[in-house]
Amino acid sequence: MRGGGERERAEALGREALAYADGLYNLARYLTRNPSDAEDLVQETYGRAIKASAQFTPGTNLKAWLFRILRNAFMSHYRRDRHNPVTGGLDTVTPRLPAAKDIGRQRDSVEIDRLRKAAAEDIERALLSLSEDARTVILLDLEGLTESESAEVLGCALGTVKSRLSRARAALRETLRDWEP
Amino acid sequence: MDCHDVLLVLLDYQQGRLAPEAHGQVRAHLDGCTDCAHEDRLEHELTQALERRLPQHAAPLALKRRLAAQWPVDATSPAPRRQWLRSWMPAAAAAVILLALAPLAWQRVLSPWGSGRDVMVAEAVNDHVRLVQSERPLEIESGGIHQVIPWFSGRLDFAPTVRFTGDSDFPLRGGAVGYFVDRKAAALVYGRRLHTVSVFVFRADGLPWPRAGLEKLGRLEVYRTASRGFNVLLWRDGELGYAVVSDVDPRDLSLLVGRLSAS
Repeated sequence: MRGGGERERAEALGREALAYADGLYNLARYLTRNPSDAEDLVQETYGRAIKASAQFTPGTNLKAWLFRILRNAFMSHYRRDRHNPVTGGLDTVTPRLPAAKDIGRQRDSVEIDRLRKAAAEDIERALLSLSEDARTVILLDLEGLTESESAEVLGCALGTVKSRLSRARAALRETLRDWEP
Repeated sequence: MDCHDVLLVLLDYQQGRLAPEAHGQVRAHLDGCTDCAHEDRLEHELTQALERRLPQHAAPLALKRRLAAQWPVDATSPAPRRQWLRSWMPAAAAAVILLALAPLAWQRVLSPWGSGRDVMVAEAVNDHVRLVQSERPLEIESGGIHQVIPWFSGRLDFAPTVRFTGDSDFPLRGGAVGYFVDRKAAALVYGRRLHTVSVFVFRADGLPWPRAGLEKLGRLEVYRTASRGFNVLLWRDGELGYAVVSDVDPRDLSLLVGRLSAS
């Protein structure tokens, strides 16, 4: 028999966990690329969370914990079982430093113009063209996770998140810059 | 700070994560370096494009219901079988079980629609979902609060008091007129990164406001809860009632309420 306190704790945890369903589903959609697999992945995430809920410490970061479970579920099932057409890694694009001034002001203006005019579907397509790791780090940032929370999700050091995010954004910018509308 | 140092912390700078001294150093460098200032603009444009135009996919309500049913009140009971394998028989069996248990678990975990308080919470969530799922959710697109608020004039039987003009954290997207329980309401829609936050303003009289479980938020006493995966805050301010609903982090909603009440 479970005590009333434990039951209330489980209910509170369930309520809070459900508040993150949209964010988790959004990441799942961009990882799996289709609604049906995204639903499966989110359901798998909650299934794993339920199994491990006794190990969750109340007051710690539930959101980061759930995103970490989702990412691990994706890595261990989806990525292994299905063909992943995107093979480009995060390190394929280096963020621009001042040494790359050769690109020139005119091209920079074009880049700003393209970013401003990029339609929703262009941005979505550009994001989907990136590697899974790059997509994940960009979406975690958009979801409002801090870099330390993202580091917890990705299981890496804070500095690694910083460099991954920087490279992912550089890759996205390059994709959008070279996009032919 | 040289260009290399600045570019390493540019995102932290843009997101206000630097200490004041470092923030000032980056600002000073950007004022004097056209290349880095240009990079700053490009990164800003990319953030704007992602936050405002990247399609966001909300979890289907059917999925949320299944998740609510899936989460047991006793969290240590066994989890459902993995849906992942998608073999026909276990999936069909799980679907039958979920369909059978969903209404019960939904009611047990999330929807004890017994009290007036819960009616108000349900109404707020329903109004938010209607706004978000509507093809034309906004009747007036935002060109600023001074464009949105006057638009309500003549459409409501009260003057909605909202002076928060929106900012880069919570841009005001627009407004619409709707109903809250039995009365007209002004619906204001703010953005929070990729998410939508609905703020409903309505006459407060005669509604079953929560009296217990209130928390102090600035000068307000706010009732905070979560329902169907959404975070909800309800409060009274004079003759008007306010409901804020979104799927964003509860801490973000507290920030928004602070700005709404401070203005």
